[in-house]
Amino acid sequence: MSDATQTELAHANPLPVRARVWNRFVGIFRLSPTGAIGLFIILFFALLAIFSAWIMPHDPIAAYTDKVLHPPSAEFWFGTDGNGMDVFSRVIYGAKFGFGIAIPAVILSLVIGIPVGLIAGYRGGLLDEVLMRFVDGLRVFPSIILALAVVAATGQSLLNVILVLGVLDSPVFARVVRAEVLGLRSSNFVESAVAAGNPTWRILFVHLLPNAIQGAMAQTAVRAAWAVRISATLAFLGVGIQAPTPEWGAMIRQGAEYMVSGQWWVALYPGLALILLVFGLNLFGDGLQDLMDPRRRSAK
Amino acid sequence: MTFQRFLLRRALMVIPLMIGVVFITFMLVRIGGLDPVGRLAGPTATQAEFDSIRNNLGLDQPLWKQFSIYLGNVVRGDLGESWLSNRSVLTDIKERAVISLELLFWGVGIGALVGVPVGLRAAFRPNGRFDQFTRVLSLFGFSIPTYWLALVMIFVFFYLLGWSPPAIGRMSMLVSPPDMITGSYVIDGLLTARWDAAWSAASQLILPVICLAIVSAAPIIKQTRAIAIEVLSSDTVRYAHACGLPERNVRKLVLRNSAVPILTYIGTEVTGLVGTMSLIEYVFAWGGLGQYGLNAIISGDFTAVQGYVLVLAVFSVLVFIVIDFVVYLIEPRSELS
Repeated sequence: MSDATQTELAHANPLPVRARVWNRFVGIFRLSPTGAIGLFIILFFALLAIFSAWIMPHDPIAAYTDKVLHPPSAEFWFGTDGNGMDVFSRVIYGAKFGFGIAIPAVILSLVIGIPVGLIAGYRGGLLDEVLMRFVDGLRVFPSIILALAVVAATGQSLLNVILVLGVLDSPVFARVVRAEVLGLRSSNFVESAVAAGNPTWRILFVHLLPNAIQGAMAQTAVRAAWAVRISATLAFLGVGIQAPTPEWGAMIRQGAEYMVSGQWWVALYPGLALILLVFGLNLFGDGLQDLMDPRRRSAK
Repeated sequence: MTFQRFLLRRALMVIPLMIGVVFITFMLVRIGGLDPVGRLAGPTATQAEFDSIRNNLGLDQPLWKQFSIYLGNVVRGDLGESWLSNRSVLTDIKERAVISLELLFWGVGIGALVGVPVGLRAAFRPNGRFDQFTRVLSLFGFSIPTYWLALVMIFVFFYLLGWSPPAIGRMSMLVSPPDMITGSYVIDGLLTARWDAAWSAASQLILPVICLAIVSAAPIIKQTRAIAIEVLSSDTVRYAHACGLPERNVRKLVLRNSAVPILTYIGTEVTGLVGTMSLIEYVFAWGGLGQYGLNAIISGDFTAVQGYVLVLAVFSVLVFIVIDFVVYLIEPRSELS
C-alpha cells in the first residue's frame, strides 16, 4: 500500500489519538503476550527505582544494631540482615543499580558497536577481518571471567563496571549491524547514493544506519538483561560494588553465610528481585526479537 | 582431507590465537592498577624490600622483556610460580583440572540429556502448549543467577531437609580420600574399592551437578528447538512428507539432520559454561580449577591468572576439535575445515 492511500484511509476513518495508541498497544500485546508481561515487569521495577524514596519504609543503610538478623515481620517485611539493615528497603533501592548499570552500559555498547559494525561491513577488507578475528578470539572466554578480570585489573568502581560491561558487549551489536550492512552494501539505494556523490560518513549514517539498525535494537533488552546479571555477579564476588551498598548481588554475598544457619531471608529476596527483573528483560527482549526479526517470525 | 592433516592444520591455526591470548592477558594484568608487590611485602616493608621483591619477580624489567621471558617459559611448559603461594601454577592447574572436568561433564551431560529431548518435542508442535511452557521455562532458566540457585539449594537440601551433606568441598571431612589415580574421588574410590569414599564424593557431587544441569539445560532447550524447526521446514523434510513417509520416520529424519548443529552448539556452550561452573565451585568451596581461577583474579595473582586463562583457551580449542571430530564421525561427507 502506498503512502498516499494510507493517509487517505487515515483521513476517511479518523480515530482519536488515544484510541489509536490503545489499539496499537493491544495489538502488540496480542502479537507477543509474553513480551508484554516482560514489559510490565520492567515498568514495575522502573517505578520502584524512581519512587524508591517514597516506597522504602526504612533507610536502606540505617543499621538497627539491636535488631540484627530478625526474620520477616510487620516492621521489617523481608527481615533484617547481619548489620541490622532492612532487607525490604534495600531490595527496593537495589532496582536503581539494575537500571543505573544496564541502561548506560547498553547505550555505550550501541555507541561503540554500531559505528564499528557499519564501517567493518561497508569497507570490508583487512579491517573487517582483523575485527572479526578479535571478536572470535574473545569468545574463547566465558563473559563473566572476562568481565571479572578486566574490572579487577582496571579498578573497582561503579563507573568502571559500566564501562567494562559496555565495551565487552559492543561486539554483539557490531556483529549484527555488520551482517545487515553486508547484505545492503550493493543494493540500489546505496549505489545511487554513492553515484550522487555523498561522502562516506553520510552513506553510513544517513543511508545505511536506518536500514541496518533494527536487528541491533531488537537485541537491546536481552543485552540489558545480561548487563544486570553480570554486574550482580561481580558484586556477589566482591568485585566492583562493595557491601553495604544496597545492590542485589552484594546483598546475596552478605546473605550467603547465613544460608547454612537458617537466616534465608538475607539472600533470598535480593535474588528473587534480580531473577524477576532479568526475567522481565528477557521476556521483553524475546518478544522484541520476534516482532523485529522477520525470519524468526516466519519460523514460528 | 584425512583427519591427521586436519588436526595438524587446526593446531597450526591455534598458535597465533594462543600467542594473542597470552599477550592480552599479560598486558591486562600488568596495565591494571593491581600491584602484588605491596601485598607481598606487607605494611612494614622498607623501600629496599620492595625493590628486592620487584627484582625477584622480574617486574623491574621492561614490559617487552617480561613478555618474551614469559612466552619462552610457556613454550617450554613452565607457567611460572604463583606469587601468593609460591607453588607451581602448572601443578596447581593439573591437580584441579580433573576435579572441574568431572563437574562439567556431569552437569553439561545431564543438561543435554534433558534439554535436547525437551527442545525437540517443543519443535514438533511449535506454539503448542508444551512449546509455550518450555519457552517461558527456559527464559526463566536464563535469568536465574547460578550462585543464588546454589545457595537456595544448600538451604533447602542441607539446612531444611538435611538430605545433603554440608556444602564444603568434594568429600566429607570424616572420610579419608582414596589413593590418587585419576584425581576424581568417585572414580578413584571405585577403582580402589573404597566404597565409603566413592559414596561420600558422589553425594557431595549431586547438588552442584543439578545446579549446573539446570543452568545449562535452558539455552540447550532454546537452541535445539530453533534448529529442529529449521530442519522441519527444510526441503528434505517437506519431500519426506510429500512422499507420505509415516510421522515416526520423518521425526527420525529430523533428529538425524539436527544432530550436527545441536552438537556444535553444545560444544560452544561448554566453553561459556566454564564461567557458570566457576561460580558453582565458588559457592560449594569445590576446590577445582574454576574456583582457583576466580580467586586468582580477585586476589591479583598475575602468574596464576595468566596460566588459568591460557588453560581455558586451550580447553575451548580442544572442545572445538573434539566436536569437529565427532561431527566427522557422524557425517563423514562434511568437510573438515
